[in-house]
Amino acid sequence: MNHPERLQTRIDAYLMRLRRSLGELPPEEVADILREIRGHILERAEATGAMTDERLAAILKALGRPEDIAPLYQAEALMARARTSYSPTLLLRGALRWAMLSVKGFAIFLAGLIGYGIAIGFLGGAIGKVIAPDQVGAWVSPGSFSIGTSSSDVARDILGWWLVPIGLAVGALGLVVTTRVLRWALGFAKVRKALPGEETGT
Amino acid sequence: MVRPIEQGTADNDNWDSQIRKGWLELAILASLWSEKLYGLDILRRLEADSDLIVAEGTIYPILNRLKRDGLVDSKWVESQGGHPRKYYSLTTSGRRRTLVMARHASQFLTRIQGLIAPLVALPEEEKR
Repeated sequence: MNHPERLQTRIDAYLMRLRRSLGELPPEEVADILREIRGHILERAEATGAMTDERLAAILKALGRPEDIAPLYQAEALMARARTSYSPTLLLRGALRWAMLSVKGFAIFLAGLIGYGIAIGFLGGAIGKVIAPDQVGAWVSPGSFSIGTSSSDVARDILGWWLVPIGLAVGALGLVVTTRVLRWALGFAKVRKALPGEETGT
Repeated sequence: MVRPIEQGTADNDNWDSQIRKGWLELAILASLWSEKLYGLDILRRLEADSDLIVAEGTIYPILNRLKRDGLVDSKWVESQGGHPRKYYSLTTSGRRRTLVMARHASQFLTRIQGLIAPLVALPEEEKR
């Protein structure tokens, strides 16, 4: 007996499992992958003539378990994971890997370090202000600006208690913006070691 | 105790699938050398010309990575069957890479062959 709807449901269930396992990839890439795998299943199915449960089961079995296939899409290990990650350490590790291969990568890595550094500076200032209000501030003296403690006599604390909310806000914004920029930039990284004898064209 | 490989012990299966995996990337690139192919085309070609496929689904992530690395390009094309096919073709750097890989692989095979050919040719009574 042939039940097209039930077979369709099985195909959809397979693709749904795949989609779930692909979770970390960008949605448009997931859609592209599912479209390609669906095409594979349908074309295999058409090639076998009348479709039955057994034939569909054989096609899906030959394809492999979605849970086994999905990780392979992310298996470029570090770089692929870094690209889709929100973890600063993972993003910086990805950028560092790229930095070893190109000047662009080095610039991105440096930008990441500075971005996170500024963010941590502001967050640290906000927390420090709460802990030691008299010593910690946003100090301005002719020609310099710093957050933290100051030993200069001419330096003036321009923010006072405002350092707490401003430090938290700027720090958080710095974290978010740096993370976004790194994720975006890593999308352009080409990390592939050249084989001996292969000129690196780009 | 040494068991013959035909028995397919877990260890042998694992070793076997590792080898296949290692060669699959080159086989895919090589299959694209003279024409554009979509996933199922590539699979059919590999089934006919090699014995490398363990799970069919594994070629798609490899193609995905090759594209990300700029070695292949892809394009969706509508087919008469109704569903679109994603055709892959080698890029310039993909062609270069394929040639280099082919050369390395060929040298490698020659050396390994020198090492293992005497074992395969051993008379039965010495295979223990």
